[in-house]
Amino acid sequence: MEFLDHFGAVFTWSSMLILCAGTIGGLLLGATPGLSPTMAVALLIPFTFHMDPAQGLMLLGAAYTSTVAGGAVSAILLNIPGAPANIATALDGNVMARKGAGARALQICFISSAIGGVLGILVLIFLTPVLASWALKFGPSHLFWVAILGVTIIGTLDSKSVVKGLLAGCIGLWIAMIGSDSIQGVERFIFTEELEGGVHIIAALIGLFAIPQVIEMLEGGRKDPRRTVFEVRRANVWRSALETVSKVRALVIGGTVGTVIGLIPGAGGQIAGLVAYDQSRRFSRNSAKYGTGESEGVVAAESANNAMVGPSLVPLLTLSVPGSPTAAVLLGGLLIHGIFPGPDLFQKHAAVAFSFINSMLIGQILMLVFGLAIAGLAAKVIEVKPPILASAILVLAVFGSYSVQNSMADVAIMLVLGIGMYFLARYGFSPAPLVLGIILGPIAEHNYVQGRIIGEAQDGIAPYFLTGWLNILLIALVLLSLVYSIVSEIRVKRQERAASAEAAS
Amino acid sequence: MTGKPEDATPAEAAPESGPETAPASAVAGRVQQSVAALIILAVACWVAIVSFDVEDPQPYLFPQLLSGFMVALSLMALLRALRGKNRTGVGIGGRQFLNIAAGLAVMLVYVFALAEWLGFYGAAFLAMLTLYSLYDPQPHDSVRTWAVRLAVTVGFVAVIYVVFALGLKVQTPQGILF
Repeated sequence: MEFLDHFGAVFTWSSMLILCAGTIGGLLLGATPGLSPTMAVALLIPFTFHMDPAQGLMLLGAAYTSTVAGGAVSAILLNIPGAPANIATALDGNVMARKGAGARALQICFISSAIGGVLGILVLIFLTPVLASWALKFGPSHLFWVAILGVTIIGTLDSKSVVKGLLAGCIGLWIAMIGSDSIQGVERFIFTEELEGGVHIIAALIGLFAIPQVIEMLEGGRKDPRRTVFEVRRANVWRSALETVSKVRALVIGGTVGTVIGLIPGAGGQIAGLVAYDQSRRFSRNSAKYGTGESEGVVAAESANNAMVGPSLVPLLTLSVPGSPTAAVLLGGLLIHGIFPGPDLFQKHAAVAFSFINSMLIGQILMLVFGLAIAGLAAKVIEVKPPILASAILVLAVFGSYSVQNSMADVAIMLVLGIGMYFLARYGFSPAPLVLGIILGPIAEHNYVQGRIIGEAQDGIAPYFLTGWLNILLIALVLLSLVYSIVSEIRVKRQERAASAEAAS
Repeated sequence: MTGKPEDATPAEAAPESGPETAPASAVAGRVQQSVAALIILAVACWVAIVSFDVEDPQPYLFPQLLSGFMVALSLMALLRALRGKNRTGVGIGGRQFLNIAAGLAVMLVYVFALAEWLGFYGAAFLAMLTLYSLYDPQPHDSVRTWAVRLAVTVGFVAVIYVVFALGLKVQTPQGILF
């Protein structure tokens, strides 16, 4: 129960102010179509430089929690999911809005988000220290395999093509090698002077997540996208709360699915909502009503989305392998504050780690309060025009990446990586494995080199990396994720072929 | 730019948001996929050559391992692309590229030329106003819409100034303007 001792750091005026600001800002950013949670957190990191580590992390944590919930607003009112995580929310939520029950859908969404979210944070609180003490036994070879596992899982699960996902991960690992090597200081892969200091993780994060979205907003040229925003009429909060709580089955399924998916490194929230929605429909008594404005669907999807948030930080805090793309960005935020997550985090930085986790719990409650209060206002934010948003994000990205270490080189790297990522994304590469590669590159390399040294001193490099039950378990997991993804890729191809053959006949 | 007839479609699908909303049929064609894979293969080969052509292999142990995987994977991607398989991603249509070209030009000029020459805030103002005006669907021949554009830009740059210069005390390059 060590976490109880650290609540004091959360209940100070400055911390509460930061949490409130992060929550409100996160809700509004999440509600704006085109602003993904990942990008919002990436753009926020520069603002935390001058805060003390605990408060900086509180801001990022609050923003992470509330952007995921805020993304549901545009999913419900516009049928445009604010983030991939909210795709399942739109299925029933938007139909509810069409039928005039927009306010009720929003309330149910925030209430079930909070319930799922608290559940997820509790898992984070109780599982992290246990896993951390177990992970203390990990040696270099195990940490090497954990890093490789992180890249493989996110590379195979996050993209439709296994080859492209893994390739993106490799490109990320290579980008991490640019600059001087950590052991001898030898300069590697520097082909322009901008790269002399290596690629700073924050500049890379901002570039990879913000710039492609800016360019996407410009794709339509000067065309005005006509959108229908459904009117938000008043609805009784207590009735919505009762309705949400009565959907026990959907809440349990959503919470469980979200928690489990969050724990798997790399799986992320994209699929949590959809999987929970599917499972809940399967076990529901009124499954036929799903898709016709059934509030149970919103409950399942949103509770799963937010239940994913807490557990996605478990592998991050214990093994420094992020559970979702946004958790990866959060890891960037930890690193710049000199906090290196890993098994010893709870020994070296217990105060920071626990007050961060505790603030996430408070953040869920704030998210519920502010979410219910400003749902109507959030609907207004949605109307910000894409050209304004695009140009504002561009300027913010330039200032943000510059302020990391007052370096114009970082801005140049940010922009070039961003534009490159836009074109890569057009050919089926996704940014998540690339970012994970950049983050895990140094971990993988460090442990690989150390492992070789240890192996050479003992009975060979290959036996050191390939034997022992923990190594074999980790390698098995790497192979399992590969085989699973290849099989499901083939299955999807076959279905597509069958569907197109059917359409042709 | 175009390899197959379906390459023309993404531009029509674009205005909403991006890849998610594009129809499933709009997938980049064989030529585009192959060119993309070829570029990545070239990078991978370069990484491999640099990693193996060294006197002291110690700093390049991991890059050697990595470049092996990079070359193998990008070869696989290229072979699949040449056979017309592995078609994920919507590719780039001609019209869509024209649409984003102006925006890309603004970004590059902003970062590589204006930011240091004009000063960070002057450049931000100019870049934001240009990008916003270029893509604003509102009419461009009325005083009112230009006033709105100016006001929004000035307002946002002012907020940026307050946050970064006054709040975070970031020293930005000062060019001939500000």
